[in-house]
Amino acid sequence: MMRLGRPRVIESDICIIGSGISAAMVADKLARITNKSIVVVEAGDETVPLAQRYPSRQRLMDYGENPWGADHVDGHEVDGPLQSRSMQVGGLAMHWGGVTPRFSPEDFRTRALFGIGEDWPIAYDDLDPYYQEAEELIGVAGEQGPAAMDPRGRPFPMAPLPLTWNLSLLRNWASTSGIAMWSQPSAKNSRPYHGRSECCRNDSCSPVCPVGAKYSPDFTWNELRRRNRVTLYPRTLVRRLVLDARSRRIASATAVQRAPGGTRQTEVEFRARTFVVAAGYVWSSHLLLLSQSSRTPAGVANSSGLVGKFIGGHRNQQAFVELPLELFPGINGQHSLVTKQFMRTPPDSRYLRHDLRVWESGFGRGPRLRDDAGRTMLGDEILTDWRARTRTGVARLRAYYDVIPDRASGITLDATRRTAQGDPLPRLRLVDDPASAALRGYSNDALRSLFARMAAAGNGRVIHNEEDDGGFQDHPAGGCRMGSDPATSVTDAWGRTHDHDNLFVAGAPTCVSMSCANATLTFCALALRTAEAIARG
Amino acid sequence: MPLVTRRTFLSALASAVPLTAIVSRAHAAAITDLAHDPATLVALGDAILPGELREGRRIAVASFQRWIDGYRAGAELEHGYGTSALTFAGPTPATRWMRQLDDLEAQARARHGQPFAALTIARRQALVRQALDAAHITSLGGTPGAQHVAQALLAHWYASSAAHDLCYQRQIGRQSCRPLAQQARKPLPLAGRDA
Repeated sequence: MMRLGRPRVIESDICIIGSGISAAMVADKLARITNKSIVVVEAGDETVPLAQRYPSRQRLMDYGENPWGADHVDGHEVDGPLQSRSMQVGGLAMHWGGVTPRFSPEDFRTRALFGIGEDWPIAYDDLDPYYQEAEELIGVAGEQGPAAMDPRGRPFPMAPLPLTWNLSLLRNWASTSGIAMWSQPSAKNSRPYHGRSECCRNDSCSPVCPVGAKYSPDFTWNELRRRNRVTLYPRTLVRRLVLDARSRRIASATAVQRAPGGTRQTEVEFRARTFVVAAGYVWSSHLLLLSQSSRTPAGVANSSGLVGKFIGGHRNQQAFVELPLELFPGINGQHSLVTKQFMRTPPDSRYLRHDLRVWESGFGRGPRLRDDAGRTMLGDEILTDWRARTRTGVARLRAYYDVIPDRASGITLDATRRTAQGDPLPRLRLVDDPASAALRGYSNDALRSLFARMAAAGNGRVIHNEEDDGGFQDHPAGGCRMGSDPATSVTDAWGRTHDHDNLFVAGAPTCVSMSCANATLTFCALALRTAEAIARG
Repeated sequence: MPLVTRRTFLSALASAVPLTAIVSRAHAAAITDLAHDPATLVALGDAILPGELREGRRIAVASFQRWIDGYRAGAELEHGYGTSALTFAGPTPATRWMRQLDDLEAQARARHGQPFAALTIARRQALVRQALDAAHITSLGGTPGAQHVAQALLAHWYASSAAHDLCYQRQIGRQSCRPLAQQARKPLPLAGRDA
């Protein structure tokens, strides 16, 4: 309804802010188990439809063009090592790699087990059924590793992606070092699933799967919109959450909506019984911090002062190993082996927990213009030289190790840089907890030693080592961490904010720690748990 | 004194006054001229692409021409992780590359009294090598950023799935749609080659 001189008002039972994968999980579950009306508000525009992804992928491959069109909001920049600038219906999971390991049981109890970091208010077993639910919703193909390392209540919904020729050889190689590896669980279809096709190895999963074999949230939104179970408002930026005048409940979310393809903006007010902030690790905290008033001078849900704090991810050490193996890079380069063998620090060792992955690689094996003597090659010379340098194979090894974020690690409002609407933009700084910072050199040394041992076991050699530069941390999360104590956390164990009983935060921001593996499946599981709490009322 | 062609004139103008309309017209002129007279580019492909390709060299050159034709200056490029920065495709390289083809042609006539396409492969390669070395080009790089047309053509073909297969002499079919189950098998040899 449009009112003269006033914002348009849109009412619903539940208002979800953000349309990424966590928002999709919340909406999907609420649509299944309740009859509540659901509104979804997304700052970015509609995404590129599946039918257009082959041509957009081709432009990416030929020219490096963004396959997702203008998937950003002008002016919405972050000073700091942002995971991704992307904003669109479906969020960052439109261009994720679809890699879906679960966290390990130890991830939830690092303080109790190893004396470092913070423990979660929930255990792995609490999350297991929601992991399963998420795997079935998005379609995960996987195989269980040894149960002691990789516990799970029920089998994966799909058989694993078959190991490539290359990965089979590399798994045998890893076993010579006593390392058990298996097919990385992935949200990529090993068979047709939920109306989506089987993976056909286009091998551009990140940033774009052209056939829909990789799950992305647009599939959920398409289905929910087709069934009229959600109303989704793209190009609509929520600027503030507004408190009810007589209670601690959130009464409304004020927003501006851009016209399609234009810059004209109209004001919109969303009113709902329940609000869910599911806008990722930066923009969720940003919205809460922006929502300042005389009653919430530090923003909503922030009586602990911890909104935007304890954000982090994990670092990695990477190596390329030359091996006397007949490998053919390009069979399916984005698929890897994985192990959870190193998720437990032995009692007599310094703290280091990491995953380990192995991929095929063509590192250092590409065609080149000049030979070793510096002479420019032309005609047959380049191809002959290339062939000579590809007689042995190369494996890429990567180990993500966990980083414990400091309280100061996170976002603050930057009054010197503002959005088009005049709101302060986020400044993101990632800072290690002192104990974690002290372990960094040891972690990198230990991982380099592991890679060297593995190379030697296969009669190979490490040809290149790489270390994160320290500024960026992969798979970031946090900012509204969950906990039992309102003084040391922002939400309870279900994602409900301690301060406002009708305000929930879903997915990435609620993480207490970030493990040493891709976290998206964990965000999904947490979001499904949050949806359950919302349905309970 | 060299003849000032429409292409040369527009290219020089586009460099001096980078107005969108002029640059766009220079790009179109370069493509049109190349389509009408690809002899030097074809001769370049014959000289610098692997002889093993045989007629495939013409296919590679045609593919490169289509690439030039499809270039969109100012297009938003894929934004990677770790930054808010957006990047956009630079101005068309077509005009620069066409000038370089003209230069190769002029060099051929000046040194050998013949068109570039009439020279032996060895003589063509010598001219290309000299141009690449003079520009301090040491790597293939990527096509869009190539400083010289020869570098661009090489980068374009060597980035292809076909080049990859030819190197490994196997039907790998990198980044193309292929049955999932077959990934467990050793890729088949290319037709006419031993397993």
